[in-house]
Amino acid sequence: MRKIGVAALVLLMIGAVVFASGRPETGRDGITLMQNKPEIDAMLQDYGQVWSDSSGIGITIKSVGGSSGTSLGQQLRADYTAGEMPDIFIIAGIEDYREWESLILDLSGEKWVADTSVAFTVDGKVYGFPVAIEGWGMAYNGDILKAAGVDPASLTSYGAYKTAFQKIDGMKDKLGLDSVVSMAASADMGWVTAHHNFNSLLSNGLPYGDMSVVKDLQNGKVDQNRLQQYADWVELLFTYADQTVLTTGNYDAQVGAFATEKAAFLHQGNWVDPNMDAAGATFPMAFAPHGSLKQVTDGIFVSAPSFYVINAESKNVAAAKQFLNDMVYTNAGQNFMVKEAGMLPAFSNITLKPAGQLSQSVQKWSSAGKVYSWNQYQFSGEFRDQVLAPIYNQFATKQISKSEFVQAMTRAFENRKN
Amino acid sequence: MNRFHRNNVTFWVFLAPVLFAFVMVVAIPFVIGGFYSFTDWNATARAGQGLKFVGLHNFTRSFQDPSFLYSFIITTIYTLVNVVVINVLAIVLALAVTSKLRFRNLYRMGFFVPYLIGGLILGYLWQFVFNNAIPAIGNALPFLSTLANPENLMLRHVDTSIIALVIVGSWQYAGYIMMIYVAAIEGVPTELYEAAQIDGASGWQKFRGITVPMIAQAFTITMFLTLVNSFKQFDVNYSLTAGGPATSFMGESIYGTELLAMNIYKVAFVGNDLAAGQARAVVFFVVIVVFSLVQVSINKKKELEL
Amino acid sequence: MKSNKRLYILEFFMLAFLVVYLYPFVIVFINSAKDAFSVTQYPMRLPEKWSQLFVNMESIWTSRNVRYSSSFFSSLIITALSLVFVTIFPAMGAWVLVRTKTKTSQFIFLIFVAAMVIPFQIVMFPLVAWFRTVFQVTGLRLLRTYFGIVLAYLGFGLSLSVFVYHGFIKNIPFELEEASIIDGCKLPEVFFRIIFPLLTPVHATIGILHGMWIWNDFLLPLLVLGKGNRIQTLPLAVANFAGAYVKQWDLILTAILMAMIPVLILFFIAQKRIVKGMVAGSIK
Repeated sequence: MRKIGVAALVLLMIGAVVFASGRPETGRDGITLMQNKPEIDAMLQDYGQVWSDSSGIGITIKSVGGSSGTSLGQQLRADYTAGEMPDIFIIAGIEDYREWESLILDLSGEKWVADTSVAFTVDGKVYGFPVAIEGWGMAYNGDILKAAGVDPASLTSYGAYKTAFQKIDGMKDKLGLDSVVSMAASADMGWVTAHHNFNSLLSNGLPYGDMSVVKDLQNGKVDQNRLQQYADWVELLFTYADQTVLTTGNYDAQVGAFATEKAAFLHQGNWVDPNMDAAGATFPMAFAPHGSLKQVTDGIFVSAPSFYVINAESKNVAAAKQFLNDMVYTNAGQNFMVKEAGMLPAFSNITLKPAGQLSQSVQKWSSAGKVYSWNQYQFSGEFRDQVLAPIYNQFATKQISKSEFVQAMTRAFENRKN
Repeated sequence: MNRFHRNNVTFWVFLAPVLFAFVMVVAIPFVIGGFYSFTDWNATARAGQGLKFVGLHNFTRSFQDPSFLYSFIITTIYTLVNVVVINVLAIVLALAVTSKLRFRNLYRMGFFVPYLIGGLILGYLWQFVFNNAIPAIGNALPFLSTLANPENLMLRHVDTSIIALVIVGSWQYAGYIMMIYVAAIEGVPTELYEAAQIDGASGWQKFRGITVPMIAQAFTITMFLTLVNSFKQFDVNYSLTAGGPATSFMGESIYGTELLAMNIYKVAFVGNDLAAGQARAVVFFVVIVVFSLVQVSINKKKELEL
Repeated sequence: MKSNKRLYILEFFMLAFLVVYLYPFVIVFINSAKDAFSVTQYPMRLPEKWSQLFVNMESIWTSRNVRYSSSFFSSLIITALSLVFVTIFPAMGAWVLVRTKTKTSQFIFLIFVAAMVIPFQIVMFPLVAWFRTVFQVTGLRLLRTYFGIVLAYLGFGLSLSVFVYHGFIKNIPFELEEASIIDGCKLPEVFFRIIFPLLTPVHATIGILHGMWIWNDFLLPLLVLGKGNRIQTLPLAVANFAGAYVKQWDLILTAILMAMIPVLILFFIAQKRIVKGMVAGSIK
């Protein structure tokens, strides 16, 4: 018995040494792409295979992030430390750019630059390829609004929303609703309040690309008038939201409430189209603007949330550039972006339309030019997540009043360290 | 009873594998990490701009941060409660599993099995239990209807969220600790019990005289493990409460159930400041070492007494 | 008869407690046989078709972006190898540390135990940087290899192992070893012939404790093996089910069920060893 044990042990040790010689990743001399949406990983892998076959260059796709507890940024740092930086990776905005600045290639001369208006630029130079267009506003259930006698086209100001919410709230039982709006403010949904809703304060009603409010806030100057109106809007949303979803609900709970027609409005963006699909929600739905000001603000927030960038130290820059070009100019690439991955393309030469209703709604607002910018990335993630989000959370759980909310927000901007 | 001399070949040969692994995997990275906490290191492209030595800056900054101080307090409270709950539960279960109950093998497996579910999913599961299952029970049973009120959800308030963390942490970990107590109890030679029986000892006397001292030895191990693991808790914290409901502390709004490990994680990865995270982790480490040294020495004294 | 009645009542309470205790597993089980949306919206309902469970299992096993089968076997290899090392080597080390009462041995033991306190965050990135430096300087590949990750598990697991083995070896009477030396055994033989078999219950316990952790571990493989590379473990592969906005709960829960099976098997095997060891110990 012992002899068998010893023999097994020896075998295992030999095995270990054999493995130690480990064959490293130099098998394919192609390019590596790392992205942050695991749900489109399968489609991307398929497209990668198709592209490989037609171009003759190998490509490895890695998907990190989502809700697995590790973010793309973390994995990038780990891979960089390991000496394995990918050839193409994703950045979300200026903060990510600053971190990887010395590694990001200038792409101003690429063909696709001319066909998009939302490429990532710094000091006039183009660095990022927009992955998709995304937008959000107040998603509404067309059937419910019709039954309640509310015209979505009228929902463009705080006053209009207040009237509409009160009306629908009074008819909750008749319409089969649990609440008027499905809104979330718990700790792990801090991005709904401190990223998206916060952006209303920064850009609602302002010309696209206007940074005046952002600059003031960054310098600690708070426009109390604008902030007060914004606080009224936040209070409105919180008051007419399902309290369970608001204080403890997660993403599935919030989106699910809208999909099962338990809420008339949803505070999310067109990325919920796949969720609607999975839920079998076929009722008519579209976006209406946010009502964070007394004046009319007839537009929704549209931009590109993430960008592909090329590693300047890559050994295969030409191949990487070709991959990005092909996504825009080949049928296979366009098909992947719009039909397979269900994304709204950021390029004007692409005529395919995505299938999701909310994505189509974004496209409509975008073509009409009724868009406001995404400015929340001008503030650091740490500021939004660790300083602002708890304030929203306390307001949602009624620990602080509206005036205290305003004071806390003002103090946050005045004392901002990063 | 000195078997070997320091120069003895067997001593070093037997120690070699673990020493090698330890140095390569733990010791050297630890020293490197400690060094980084005195710099502005960020492990990314910016490091190419040269590492700046910042002395104690990261450390002083962490002690001025209300969320870090709050995390300390809340983690200590959580640890104390958790240690007690887990060990009491584990001892009770260990006794049940080593007794004459008919289904004891079923219990042994059943109570251990929660440890099988990995950290993140565990949190999401229990989130569902607290947010959906318990209110559903409240809806079904009239006399428990307060459970169905959204105001009474456990995860909505900071103090009950901590209790929720303890519940989930204990549920996951009690079986693990139970195994150690079981190993200790089963290590008692049955002759001891038989001899006591012959001497006419009652069940209680047997328990007090034989079982308890045997468990006491395992106590040092289990206390240490539960203390350290509770203090380091991250997975369940992240997925169950994500830092939990916000609260006011030192005049600022901060997250109310953010334990130390999570606070360090947020500083390092959300705040993009790995060096500051390292500094906090070093402080974290020193505190745990102090706590566990105190705990072990107290336990050792008790052990000798018994 | 009174004590029997007491036993029955106790038995009843224990069973009831067990059922309540394991309730979350019931939730996992019934929800693994549903499609994703039903899981989030109607988690308490029984599934409509239990056969959905097998449909889920099949889609997991064949899913191309998850490579379940290859990561399953990689996890198996890594866990098995790590368990062998994390029981044998620490036992050896603990034995010599117990039987040697010098300052050096005490110091080494203390360092090993103190390491249990180190939070993983401190060593995470330095570990990767260090492994890479080792490769650049000596050509020894640690990152992205089986050897590297098994070494890492030995490094992080030996503290607990040494700690527990130390405690149990202390209770083994020295006379046993003395007797065998008088009989002419050399020191290594003393360990492998006498001590090692006596430690069987401890091997089994340590095996289960570490086995569970290594099998389910996410962070260390993420760093040492990297996501999307050749060698993937189960937790790394399954992470692809949790997207940014769409969590495929049906597949996640089914994957959890599937991951529990090998561990339960390990548990059964280890159980027998623990009992056997106990019997052998008491006979002595």
